[in-house]
Amino acid sequence: MTTPRSRREFIRQMGIGAAAMPFVLNLPSLGFANAPPARKQRLVIMFSPNGVVPWNFWPDEEGEKFTLKESVTPLAPWQDRTLFLKGLSIKMQGDGDRHMRGIGCLLTGIELFPGNIQGGSDTPAGWASGHSIDQEIKRYLQGKPDTRTRFGSLEFGVLVPERADTWTRMVYDGPNKPIAPIDDPYQMFSKLYGQMKDQAGVRSILDAVAEDLRKVESRVSADDRKLLTDHATFVREMEQELARDADLQLDHVVPELEPGVREENENLPKISKMQIDLLVNSFKADFTRVATLQYTNSVGQAKMSWLGIDETHHTLSHEPDGDKAAQDQLTKINKWFCEQMAYLVKRLDETPEPGGEGSMLDHTTVVWTNELGQGNNHTLNNIPFVLVGGGLDFQMGRSLKLPNVPHQRLLMSLAGGFGHPIEKFGNPNFCGDGPLTGLA
Amino acid sequence: MNCLHTTRWSLLRSWLAVCWLAVPSCLTLANEPSPGEAIYRQQCASCHGPQGEGTSQYDERLTGELSVEALSAYIHEWMPEEAPEECTDEEARQVAAYIHDAFYSPIAQARIAPPRVELSRLTVGQHRQVLADLVAGADVAAAWDDQRGLTAEYFNSGRRIRDEDRVLERIEDNVQFDHGKQPPPIDNLSAEEFAGRWQGGVHAPETGEYEFVLKTKNGARLWVNDDETALIDAWVRSGEESEYRETRFLLGGRVYPIRVEFFKSKQDPEAGLTLSWRRPKRVEEVVAPDYLSPHKFPETFVMQTDFPPDDRSQGYERGTSISKQWDQAATYAAIEAAGYVVERLHEVPGYKQDDSRRGDALRAYCRQFAERAFRGPIDDELAAVLIDRHFDQANSPEQATKLALILILKSPRFLYVDLHDHPHDSHAVAARLALGLWDALPDEALRKAADADELQTREQVAAHARRMLNHPLAAAKMLAFFHEWLNLHHMQHIAKDAEQFPEFNEQVLSDLRESLDRQLNAIMWSEASDFRQLLVSDALYFNGSLAKLYGAELPPEADFQPIQLDAQRRSGVLTHPLLMTGFAHREQTSPIHRGVFLARNVLGRRLRPPQEDFDVISPDLHPEMTTRERVALQTEAKACQQCHAMINPLGFSLEHFDAMGRFRSEDNKKPVDASGEYRTIDGQPVAFDSAVELAQFAAESTEAQQAFIERLFHHVAKQPLLAYGETKPSELREQFVREEFNMQTLLVEIATTMAFEVESP
Repeated sequence: MTTPRSRREFIRQMGIGAAAMPFVLNLPSLGFANAPPARKQRLVIMFSPNGVVPWNFWPDEEGEKFTLKESVTPLAPWQDRTLFLKGLSIKMQGDGDRHMRGIGCLLTGIELFPGNIQGGSDTPAGWASGHSIDQEIKRYLQGKPDTRTRFGSLEFGVLVPERADTWTRMVYDGPNKPIAPIDDPYQMFSKLYGQMKDQAGVRSILDAVAEDLRKVESRVSADDRKLLTDHATFVREMEQELARDADLQLDHVVPELEPGVREENENLPKISKMQIDLLVNSFKADFTRVATLQYTNSVGQAKMSWLGIDETHHTLSHEPDGDKAAQDQLTKINKWFCEQMAYLVKRLDETPEPGGEGSMLDHTTVVWTNELGQGNNHTLNNIPFVLVGGGLDFQMGRSLKLPNVPHQRLLMSLAGGFGHPIEKFGNPNFCGDGPLTGLA
Repeated sequence: MNCLHTTRWSLLRSWLAVCWLAVPSCLTLANEPSPGEAIYRQQCASCHGPQGEGTSQYDERLTGELSVEALSAYIHEWMPEEAPEECTDEEARQVAAYIHDAFYSPIAQARIAPPRVELSRLTVGQHRQVLADLVAGADVAAAWDDQRGLTAEYFNSGRRIRDEDRVLERIEDNVQFDHGKQPPPIDNLSAEEFAGRWQGGVHAPETGEYEFVLKTKNGARLWVNDDETALIDAWVRSGEESEYRETRFLLGGRVYPIRVEFFKSKQDPEAGLTLSWRRPKRVEEVVAPDYLSPHKFPETFVMQTDFPPDDRSQGYERGTSISKQWDQAATYAAIEAAGYVVERLHEVPGYKQDDSRRGDALRAYCRQFAERAFRGPIDDELAAVLIDRHFDQANSPEQATKLALILILKSPRFLYVDLHDHPHDSHAVAARLALGLWDALPDEALRKAADADELQTREQVAAHARRMLNHPLAAAKMLAFFHEWLNLHHMQHIAKDAEQFPEFNEQVLSDLRESLDRQLNAIMWSEASDFRQLLVSDALYFNGSLAKLYGAELPPEADFQPIQLDAQRRSGVLTHPLLMTGFAHREQTSPIHRGVFLARNVLGRRLRPPQEDFDVISPDLHPEMTTRERVALQTEAKACQQCHAMINPLGFSLEHFDAMGRFRSEDNKKPVDASGEYRTIDGQPVAFDSAVELAQFAAESTEAQQAFIERLFHHVAKQPLLAYGETKPSELREQFVREEFNMQTLLVEIATTMAFEVESP
């Protein structure tokens, strides 16, 4: 999957002997040693497709006392740090069917361009016409030295189909600039740790290179020998620099991935866990403070045979409310997604905040969302938004019911939570009332 | 100075004896030693030796890096050892100036040390090409036959192309159609919704950045040298976008797999697609069939690592110096190449991902890789260190492979050109020959010859060299040579005054480059391959628009073709409008640039750099003067005339060509005077009336031929010609004359020399 273009980027980032490790590992540079560091804030946006079963998802109550419905029971241990936001809607019209608009407008808050992708209904469409909120926050954080990280953002995927179209892309760097999530854990691993592995590899062979240089020396004239002795000096210097870098990275544990897990439907649970582990590790190493985690795609067709479900997800989601068996299965499917969120939350909760107070969960907000409110009626009202964690200073442990407001208002709140107040995001016609009030 | 039978080197030395030993600030050429030299001989030579080589009493060589100033201060303070107070400041300065130029400085040492074949690493260009050969393995030249265009297929498919929907396969010239609202004129193809695919190879004539452009209002995507990840993915049409561009760095002389796919959806009102590109230093144009092949080609590994530039201080790129940056870049390159290979292990024969014995296949692959990388067989002892050790220790055979490859690519045996066990071994000869002609690795035929030890006679080597000329890599290396010879790399950004030259623009410049390249290639690869034709041919390659600009008859839409011009006016590449444009200012010609080019590059004369401070005389100060008169005035001082007596008349010979290379009879309303005189290296005066006469002289002159041979030798071998013997230059020239100045034969001779004639260390 590696293209020459990404190879070039890789090489640019890569540094051997150029004292690169402090950058690679985001080690504090001396310049900031005296200023008290502001607390780190992080955001994860997790996506699962095809809507939810509303009566098994939204709490009946409003306020601080509420009961978790079946789909979301895995969040019970963190109920006091969870926030349900019912009543947010994707109100934009324009081109594309609702699955397309659902995922394409979800984080961008702006319409799709007209195009040549014809959905099941409505007019054909292309890509979203603006960038997504995670990228807005990334730009803001990367713009300041004290919040800048090696990657700025990481886009994780889990079994996202190998095709680039409106249904498979959620994150946008700008108009017509979709960003493909990396759904291969091994590829993500090499993005995160490939350099360190390669540095270690290079270090292990330098002795042999030096030895080889000594051996060939006898083949050249005395006049030419200087070139080879100079060469040997450079090899020795590289060895020393790599040894020093290796000392610097001792306290960061590189995760071990189970080898040979193929990208197949049956491996969805395994890949999900691998990606979440990598995500938590990249937060721990401060490689990034913004991440997205996209399960399959809008209209996704996961077949959760491990739950005893033989029908594919999107197909099931079209079944009517009265089909109890189907609704039960959909509830199970959403509960499984919620378990993934719970695993992520648990990992964050049990990891002490590096260089800070409390756990990483105290500094991270995880948002779980979806392209539809409910699958069988394709509504873009009551889009699921469930938040867990303390990354944004919102008042958690509540169930809020909002009066059918544009979802752009939440997008603005997310930016505001990072100390980056914005007055509009996406289509300004839906931003008049500003960010949501009463979250903090 | 009778130089007909002396070598260039001794010539240079005698010239230096006159010029360099003189006190630099004083231009009188005295026979007496300079004051510095006099003092040195008297005061210093008894200990340091007459040339600073040292004596039995004091054996350290008097060489180093200090500047004249620093050296002077040192001498003043410390010398002579027993009585430093005796040396005055002025005397120290004089001695320092003398010894610095005579033998102390690195430059002076380079002058004194006799040329030899120096240990060299691969140049950056060679490194790229060699890695491409190593990693790809297959030689693609065979597939590049005479068939041009791409294999086109049409499908009654929509967004998902299905092979069973194919209705037609044929070869098309290139990718360029606009059916508008009409159905495509293909039987059984649905007008409402259809798809197309074009694939084959694309040839990159020179190394550089190639920008590919897709124009469509439908869905389309493009793959170049990567079958998996599209370079341009415009399968989703979105908004008003209808033009997509991406750049890929490609190595010259190679053919890359290319694939374009297209679909028209039911909703698209029209169907149209164009594949264009922008080659290095060219404007955008539709990819012409000349660069396309309908056959299949494998991917080529193109190294992306940036290297520090090679040393060019001798006028050609060579690998005789290394630096820390270079060592780091070589490391990145090794990691990059090893990573590329490890991602494609499924292509290794005998490798299966879950096979417990896959280690054996990979071990064998690594050994083969090492033998190709080192351009010769390796023994078990070396294999144990390079390869086996990793397989015995690493976590997985894949990781072992990666480490082994990194180590191989970091080994001096790979990085340096000539670290073979025996320099006369057939493998060593093959390696040098392939680097000489291609900057790349031996192909299969050459490897087989080496394995059979059949590169032991000069004729055996020459036979392979002749065969190897017929390869795109040889063509690319020669084209790069011509560009260097004609100084084209100094002509990156040419702009002309918009009022005087409103017709001149990037398109014209790009066409001129194409015109020159076609002429060079046509002469070089013709049967006669006659060097003299480069200088005296009266044909130029014009297309319709160039013809109009430069006064030739062609229909406006005509493609490039050779046009016979007035033989009294134009002469070979010397008067090519690109050169005339490049060696000129924005508004006027520049006889000095043109003269320096003729003196240095064509006639092989050595010139000193100009004096540091002078003001160019503005034309406004002397509105009545011609360019020739103004340049003469500018350079009339005696100090200038040392060089300009030669430069100016040469440059004036081209005054018939204005600043964009059009013929003119008048300059500033006066008739152009292109006459002049040139003194050859042995002092013979040659008079000429025009560039045509000068070119005719140059074509037949010993010095121009000698200069050409020397330049070509350096470009090919990346070693000094004189290292192959004091008489080598004249031998090569005599043979060049006997062979009717055939450049292909010369190239074979040069490559054979550098491959075959080596001394044991």
